[in-house]
Amino acid sequence: MWKSVIYKEWLKIRWFAIVFAGLGILAVGNIFLRVQHDFTFNDANNYWYFILFQGFQYFGYGFFKFVPVIGGLGLAVTQYFPETVNKRIKLTFHLPLKENNVLFMMMFFGAFCLFAIDAIMFVLFTSLSLLYFPLEMISASLVSTAPWFLSGFVSYFLVALVVLEPVWKYRFLYALVAATFVPIFLESAVSGAYAPALPLLILFAVVLSISLLFSGYRFRKGEM
Amino acid sequence: MVKISRYILVIIAVVGFAITLPKLYWMAFSTPNRAPFIMYSCIENDFMIQRSVEDGLLREDTRGNEYTREQYEEKLPFLYVRQLLMSNTMPDSINGIEMDTHEISMHRSTFRVQPKDLKTPAVKLYPLFEAESGRAALEMPEDYFRISWRMEFVNAKTNKVNEEKSRLFSAALYNDGFEFPAKSINGLPTTRKSCDEGYLIIDSKDQLFHLKMIQAEPYVEKVKLPENLKFKYISCVDFRDKKYYAYLFSTDNEMYVLTQDEYELKKFPIANLDPEKDVIRIYGDLFNYDVIVNGDHFVNVYVLDANYNFVDEYKESWPAPMEKTEGKVFQALFPGQISMTNPDSNFVKFFTKINTSFYWIALSILLIVAQFIIVRKRQATLSKNILDFIVIGISGIFGFLAVNIFPNKFFD
Repeated sequence: MWKSVIYKEWLKIRWFAIVFAGLGILAVGNIFLRVQHDFTFNDANNYWYFILFQGFQYFGYGFFKFVPVIGGLGLAVTQYFPETVNKRIKLTFHLPLKENNVLFMMMFFGAFCLFAIDAIMFVLFTSLSLLYFPLEMISASLVSTAPWFLSGFVSYFLVALVVLEPVWKYRFLYALVAATFVPIFLESAVSGAYAPALPLLILFAVVLSISLLFSGYRFRKGEM
Repeated sequence: MVKISRYILVIIAVVGFAITLPKLYWMAFSTPNRAPFIMYSCIENDFMIQRSVEDGLLREDTRGNEYTREQYEEKLPFLYVRQLLMSNTMPDSINGIEMDTHEISMHRSTFRVQPKDLKTPAVKLYPLFEAESGRAALEMPEDYFRISWRMEFVNAKTNKVNEEKSRLFSAALYNDGFEFPAKSINGLPTTRKSCDEGYLIIDSKDQLFHLKMIQAEPYVEKVKLPENLKFKYISCVDFRDKKYYAYLFSTDNEMYVLTQDEYELKKFPIANLDPEKDVIRIYGDLFNYDVIVNGDHFVNVYVLDANYNFVDEYKESWPAPMEKTEGKVFQALFPGQISMTNPDSNFVKFFTKINTSFYWIALSILLIVAQFIIVRKRQATLSKNILDFIVIGISGIFGFLAVNIFPNKFFD
């Protein structure tokens, strides 16, 4: 039974997940294509200087910052929107499985896919960084990019909540809450600036993983 | 579990609103505070004050005499040297000293430190310049150094450690009693300076060292420090008079200069100079040092003579933002505010400020009453909503919005 439910989730998100993974790899590739170009046209010591003392952020190239948010948002829509069409999720709730457990499974499957794709981007980004930069610069860039990855999870959880909410008025209000909360992960700041905020941001992202239960509960109780 | 998920969402909403609503409020209602610009006049032996007023700039001294722009500039000849030379109004001598443009420019210095300079995530890699290369201009080295368990030079092109150079410099530091790793490394990592004086480095035992590279060899000098003197911030300077290497701010909020070549620490006779809280600017000229301390609602100006002896001081303050009307309204509306960024820091974190005045409690009580009516209308059990009332009591309007956006009506 569980296997079938997971397969159903995979069927919903597979195309988006593949496109998102491709987009992530392209975004990282784009960064290091540019870094490689910059190293060719500048002296390496000057390039390091721009990063160390002039606030240049090599990881800020392109749209890398917004890729995880786009991923989280898209994944939540592709996974949960089909469930709201004709209230299909109610079929899932009629399976001989605990309702909350089904919701948890859906949520964790989506979050796991997001994590797997983020992990590919993260490993690619870190290993390519190691070719060009010393550990100090890489750790500062990882501290700066970590909240971007977290924003992907937070937007996934919050958009899932919005999509599954049965009442439009509340959908709008939840979206408003999401709009006040997600930007705290995406502040523009110098490299490594997010270090003191990270523990709390990670905690928020983790505890938000159960937020879908709230919408799910309202949905199955038929709130209108 | 569903209840827990609701309270998690309520907390998220409270955080989101506590960040966004105050931000919007201040964007709409904050008014600027234009601090006056105050400098000591060696002509008048008084402070000259330039302040923004509705119809432009007002220039006056502490006795209330007003000046035109030209008169004001003549009272501050070292600040407006070029203008006075252009208009031929530069005095031939001041205080019996003949005015020589070369001398004037030799003794002019400006310095500024702000809280942001201390609260910033530093990537601890620095370029060590060749101090005596025989070239007119400084050149950027191929490598950058770090001081962890030893001193290491990393070549930027290869991203690899230069072992030979690393061993040479590590040994030089070790032989002078340096205790690895470095707590802080302070210098002027730029080629745009008159010469290179290397770095002032604090080791793990709070000892101070001067390190530079002379013809590829390390030059290390340990600076003798009085007992228990620790520095929170060191800013190296490159002034023309070459009197000192750096301004040093101690953990007990005193300020020193470290004299060039003699490595003597000289204390400024000013108490409570805290660059972690206030913006500190120092203007030096032929006769005086003007030390200007700007807080968010005050400015203190201290004047020293060329030998760092106290001459005079002037203090002025104005209402803090929270004492103004918009601040009072803010305190009535919101219990506090969270912001992710802060003008005094380069870090991003949850800067949380709880209002010191408790006007907001009145609004919280009103909102609890409103919530009571909402719960009654819904014919819900009061006991099941107690936590909501507590949330509103603690977080005021933020909590009220949050508990109503994520309604509790299903759990009755």
